[in-house]
Amino acid sequence: MADAFLTHEAGVREAYAAHAGELYGFALRSLGDPALAEEAVQDTFLRAWRAGDRFDPELGSLRTWLFAILRNVVIDLGRARAARPRVDGDLPEQGHEPFEEMLLNWQVEEALGRIGEQHRRVLVETYLRGRPYAEVAVELGVPEGTIKSRVYYGLKALRNALEEMGYES
Amino acid sequence: MKAEGCREWRERIGALVLGQLPEEERFATEAHLDGCPACRADAEALAPVASLLGRADPDRLVPAPAPPPRLGERIVSRIAAERRAERRRRTRLRLGLTAAAAAAAAAAAVTLVGSDQSTSSETVAFRSLPRGASAEATLAPRPWGSEISVRVHGFRPGTLCQVWLRRSDGKRVPAGSFRYVYDGKSDHAGLSSALAPEDAIAVGLRAGSKTFVAPLPSRSAGAGAWLIPTRPQEDT
Repeated sequence: MADAFLTHEAGVREAYAAHAGELYGFALRSLGDPALAEEAVQDTFLRAWRAGDRFDPELGSLRTWLFAILRNVVIDLGRARAARPRVDGDLPEQGHEPFEEMLLNWQVEEALGRIGEQHRRVLVETYLRGRPYAEVAVELGVPEGTIKSRVYYGLKALRNALEEMGYES
Repeated sequence: MKAEGCREWRERIGALVLGQLPEEERFATEAHLDGCPACRADAEALAPVASLLGRADPDRLVPAPAPPPRLGERIVSRIAAERRAERRRRTRLRLGLTAAAAAAAAAAAVTLVGSDQSTSSETVAFRSLPRGASAEATLAPRPWGSEISVRVHGFRPGTLCQVWLRRSDGKRVPAGSFRYVYDGKSDHAGLSSALAPEDAIAVGLRAGSKTFVAPLPSRSAGAGAWLIPTRPQEDT
């Protein structure tokens, strides 16, 4: 795919089909504006295409590369937006950390969205909402042991989803 | 029965790494992990995921909206447009080179025309040479001035010969020098001057201590006024 991406519009289509959803989702999350998010995704693919010869699959996945480009695009767009209202203000520097943090948060949410509903449900209810196993068990009409088991398999599924998304622990 | 027992323990591992086990159950599970490398490896593999889970905001788990349907096509067509622009730029570059090549060819043609004109190059004889001696000069126009071929014969071998062109205002424009070494093979010297043939009224040649002149015909009237005496100056 990498080679195709570098040389053919078909490769761009393929990369778009594989990653645009995530890129857009994250751009929307970090920019909070559908029009800006759209612009960010477009810029990302254009920059990726222009710099196609610099992509080295040996160094990382296409997805990781696209997210690295999106990161720069989002920062640029964020700066441009921040610069617009006040011309001479000291811009809040959107540094490395906040972006990486935000990306990671979003990746976990995205991964949660990819696992089965039963698994997601127990992880959300017991862990994220902090509800007792017993309560969730009653609500779902299953034994408490089943909740425990679903938490375990839910975590395994979440790990797989994150790995599929390119997350390396 | 061990596998059956492990399965029971394993299903606690999720709750363990998320910190959800009641104290007693946690101690028991940790004790099992101490003695069971397989279960411990399982727990170690899940611990990083457990530590990430807290990053998710449960209220944001609604599926992210899909990108606008036409975004993909727009990107592809933008890329196609850029590709076309790039191709045009390259083509222009190529055409530019072609134009440069054409210009070079034209220049070459001019040079050829110039060469053709050089067929109208003039050969003039120096006058008043001593008996037994002969000298002539052929002038051909060149972009940088004149190419001058000087042919001498019958001079004393080793004679230093200086050549110049005389401009209509009387000024000498040097054309170089050569030493006449007659060995029966070659008796001509190739010289050059910055003055164009049409701007010259005569060719001067100083051989040893004697000066000879070869006037160029078809120059403006009165040009001869600048000619030095055609009569060889006898030297001592």
